Amino acid sequence: MGTEDAQLLAAYRRGDSEALGRLVEKYKRPLFAFLSRFAANPGEADEWFQETWVRAIEHMNMFRQKNLLGWLFRIAHNLAVDAARRKKPDCSLDAPLPESGAPLADLIPAAALSPADEAAGRDLGRHIAAAAARLPVEQREVFWLRMDAGLPFKEIARIQRCSINTALGRMQYALARLRAELAPAYRELQESQP
Amino acid sequence: MNPHELEQLLLLEQSGELTAQQRRALDAALAASPEARRFRDQLRALAGAVPEPAGPAPDAAARIAARLRHKPKPVFVFQPAWKPALAVAAALALFVGVRSFRPVPAAAPAAETAAVAAAADDEWTDPLDADFTELESLLAAMTADASFEITEL
Repeated sequence: MGTEDAQLLAAYRRGDSEALGRLVEKYKRPLFAFLSRFAANPGEADEWFQETWVRAIEHMNMFRQKNLLGWLFRIAHNLAVDAARRKKPDCSLDAPLPESGAPLADLIPAAALSPADEAAGRDLGRHIAAAAARLPVEQREVFWLRMDAGLPFKEIARIQRCSINTALGRMQYALARLRAELAPAYRELQESQP
Repeated sequence: MNPHELEQLLLLEQSGELTAQQRRALDAALAASPEARRFRDQLRALAGAVPEPAGPAPDAAARIAARLRHKPKPVFVFQPAWKPALAVAAALALFVGVRSFRPVPAAAPAAETAAVAAAADDEWTDPLDADFTELESLLAAMTADASFEITEL
């Protein structure tokens, strides 16, 4: 663990609640962003954010990693990914419908897109977020741990308890699916490059 | 280099995890192929296009502190790295000690004694050795695998 983090935790242990505030502030952006990708709404993400910190502090005696953020993400993973698995629909969105043969997902508007966004069709970031929300949970997790939190694959592999190659493979599957789903937006992205 | 391998190297480049050998291979691919460079730019643009969600509630830290106030004060025991190693060594020593304390078999027929002696000569047939090897492997795996340090919450 970084010296600063260890000092802040020790200060909190001595009763300095501001020390905890500084730690929460330090890691709030990547941690909350990750949780937001799995939560149904900002309120749920907020609840998970608090729960992650409470569990981390409560179980700090079991923590022997060097990286506090990695430890926080491990707890966040348990909260968010388990919840995502519990919410798993009974039928697959990729399964073809009997009438048309088209996947069910094609009939469902992207969750994060408002009608205005859909009409404009230019908000690439929102398109990406909406398409990523339909990825299988392990791929979605790798995608956001890289994109939002900027974690290296080695750390992602630790969080997911898999090999680096598996984490890399999940990222590649995620990118392949996003490319397929966002083909027009991807072309736009390519054309925007110098 | 095929596109799959190229993408892997580009992803590792983005995350700062390229080895020196991979760096050389990627540089060569990028120098040789405009398509590879375009692919890299596309990946970078994708990362830049992802919108950042809003942050937690402004009073999140205060609410976390309030929740923790109602719980028993945590005990932070940052165990030194040598402690688990010492525990492993103690377990091994105990196992070896128990193993070496084998009862001497009572009088047995000559043929049976010879068979036991032959089996004892061949360490691969000793079930205790097999157990010992298995325990050693388990302990080595536990020591090598950092994820054993993480407790499932």
